Amino acid sequence: MQRSAAARLRVRPFDLEMVRVGGKRRDAPTLLLLHGINPISPTAPFLDLLAEHAHLAAPSHPGFGNSPDMGDCDTIYDLVHLYRGVLDALPAEKVTLVGFSFGGWIAAEVAAAGHPKLDKLILVAPFGIKLAGREERDFPHLFNTNPAELNRRAWHDPTRCPTGSYGIGWHVAIGDAMSDEDMVTLARNWDSLCLYAWRPHMYNPQLKHWLHRIAVPALALWGASDRIVTPEYGRAYAALIPGATFSVIEAAGHHPELEQPRAFVERVSRFIGGGDGRP
Amino acid sequence: MELWNHCENPYPFVPNEVLEQAESVRASLPNKYCDPKIAAQLYDEIFDEYRLCDDIGLHIVTNEHHSGINNLWAASPVITGVVANITRKVRILSLGTLITVRPDPVRIAEEYATIDVISKGRLEIGFVKSGATEMVSGDANPMRIRDREWEAIDLIEKTLTTQDGPFSWEGKFFTHPHVNIWPRPYQQPRPDFWAATSDLPTCAELGRRGIVNTLLFGGYDRTRQAFDAYKKARHEAGLPAPGEDRFSYMAFAYVGDTDEEGLRIGQKIAWFLTVSIKSAPQFSKFQPGAVAPQMAPAAWRTGASRRPRPTNLDAEVLVGQGQMFAGNPDTVAKQIKEFRKRVGGICHIIMMTRQGLVTHAEAEASFKRAAKYVLPQLQDLPPIDADETAWEARPGKAAVQ
Repeated sequence: MQRSAAARLRVRPFDLEMVRVGGKRRDAPTLLLLHGINPISPTAPFLDLLAEHAHLAAPSHPGFGNSPDMGDCDTIYDLVHLYRGVLDALPAEKVTLVGFSFGGWIAAEVAAAGHPKLDKLILVAPFGIKLAGREERDFPHLFNTNPAELNRRAWHDPTRCPTGSYGIGWHVAIGDAMSDEDMVTLARNWDSLCLYAWRPHMYNPQLKHWLHRIAVPALALWGASDRIVTPEYGRAYAALIPGATFSVIEAAGHHPELEQPRAFVERVSRFIGGGDGRP
Repeated sequence: MELWNHCENPYPFVPNEVLEQAESVRASLPNKYCDPKIAAQLYDEIFDEYRLCDDIGLHIVTNEHHSGINNLWAASPVITGVVANITRKVRILSLGTLITVRPDPVRIAEEYATIDVISKGRLEIGFVKSGATEMVSGDANPMRIRDREWEAIDLIEKTLTTQDGPFSWEGKFFTHPHVNIWPRPYQQPRPDFWAATSDLPTCAELGRRGIVNTLLFGGYDRTRQAFDAYKKARHEAGLPAPGEDRFSYMAFAYVGDTDEEGLRIGQKIAWFLTVSIKSAPQFSKFQPGAVAPQMAPAAWRTGASRRPRPTNLDAEVLVGQGQMFAGNPDTVAKQIKEFRKRVGGICHIIMMTRQGLVTHAEAEASFKRAAKYVLPQLQDLPPIDADETAWEARPGKAAVQ
């Protein structure tokens, strides 16, 4: 399995950091992974499991990880055009787009806009749309909520968060075991997320009107214990995408790929292999 | 020198057990703990203090903070408008409206122009970048607020000074296709600008623009550094050296009959630092932009926020650090003169006196002593030695405590 954690992908005006993992089979499908509030760790166990079934490309959004700052390209609109450019730049003829959390919002936007290379869409606990009434939140405000509370909501079992990857509520992990380098990167990611998503907070008020434009097979994967973005929100989200499958992973919270990597990969591989992604 | 009175109109009446249990005393403390009848009494008292200041020659500073026990001035233009109407002589500084939170700088300029006319040209306009809980209360993105602040200042300045409008503005942060305020300011071309910052690059930009630089509780060394950055930037830009009227400092202050009284009542001001800044981590050290990413390890490991707070809040220690002026009138005058010398020259001293648990009567007594006995000692001071005003601080001298 070929792995490159230091690959770069040039898409004007950015030169993005990208984790690339070559699939086991040359003819395996290509998956473009759009990360959530932090880039995907090259050591995350789900990557190797997933590479059994696909070639993986996981860039860091502008301003995240070691990707350059976004300059004036600091809106979701910019990210949609950026990732349409990434689809153009990838050598594969067809690409399945996989978006996690914040990256799920971007993936939904890209899919609603459409792209000739787009083959399938997988949304993993995405943010991105407003469903509840004007006095109800669909999800907690990530910047105005105590990180300890976010951490409690983000995991099925907060006492057993996987090490080496940082999910929502990562601030509670700050301590002697965390390196200065990790802190600098996490601070940079947090700042960049804020630029894109402070207001409206983690959604585009117009997106739900255009999800019906998504014209590729779609799978919405949700952790049963996700108390950041709940499965109820996920069901309603999936219902707005024509023909989308909604599937729940047990004993997982907002980051099922980290908490239940085998179950996650099993659902994804079934879906990209032609199934519907249900267990 | 000039003396100014700044009161934040704090609300120190929430039970301690509530404050101790609250995650934050700003932004998220429910307003059921603010009794509007008590608030009305506070407004009455402080407006009376402002009338007194107008009579005795202390200028007045207003500001605004939101959603917390530290400050009931929720809208500086509203309060400043009231002050303009109840005073006749002194100057009024709004320091200021939170221009990084308000969505439309044109409205801010319009409000200030109106106040300048009402006060017949007694307004000074101050800018503060703000941050932390104010971003939460105002739902303002805490990222890039420095860039947003400068664009807001530019737009406000153009709005105040354009007399043949309308003009159009399409900037990064603000758009307004039809700017043409009525009335225009009373002072021509516009009221003087002030800004509160100790950030050295920002101080340098203030210097290049000639904006009055205010330091808040910075103490001797930090204030000296800031003022030096201001002077150096002007020098490097080929601009004339600034007068002392370009420099301002806000300190806790209490003028007592005796040194003992000054320190004893001054100690009550420490409530501002010990109680009124309690803030949840998501509203402080973990707020995006609170620290530069490379500074995050130091800030997060120690729990420090962007702005270091004094660690020892004893009034005598605060005096020693140049963060408080307290004692009898002669002592306070001596402290201020010493401060002026050690920071390389300054014209404006802003006294934060009605703060914390200091009462209305105590505040008025201090103001009367300040005006009658301190202010005269600060007039017609000899120029500071050229070495003291040079921006190239001499090693070993400026840092001496």
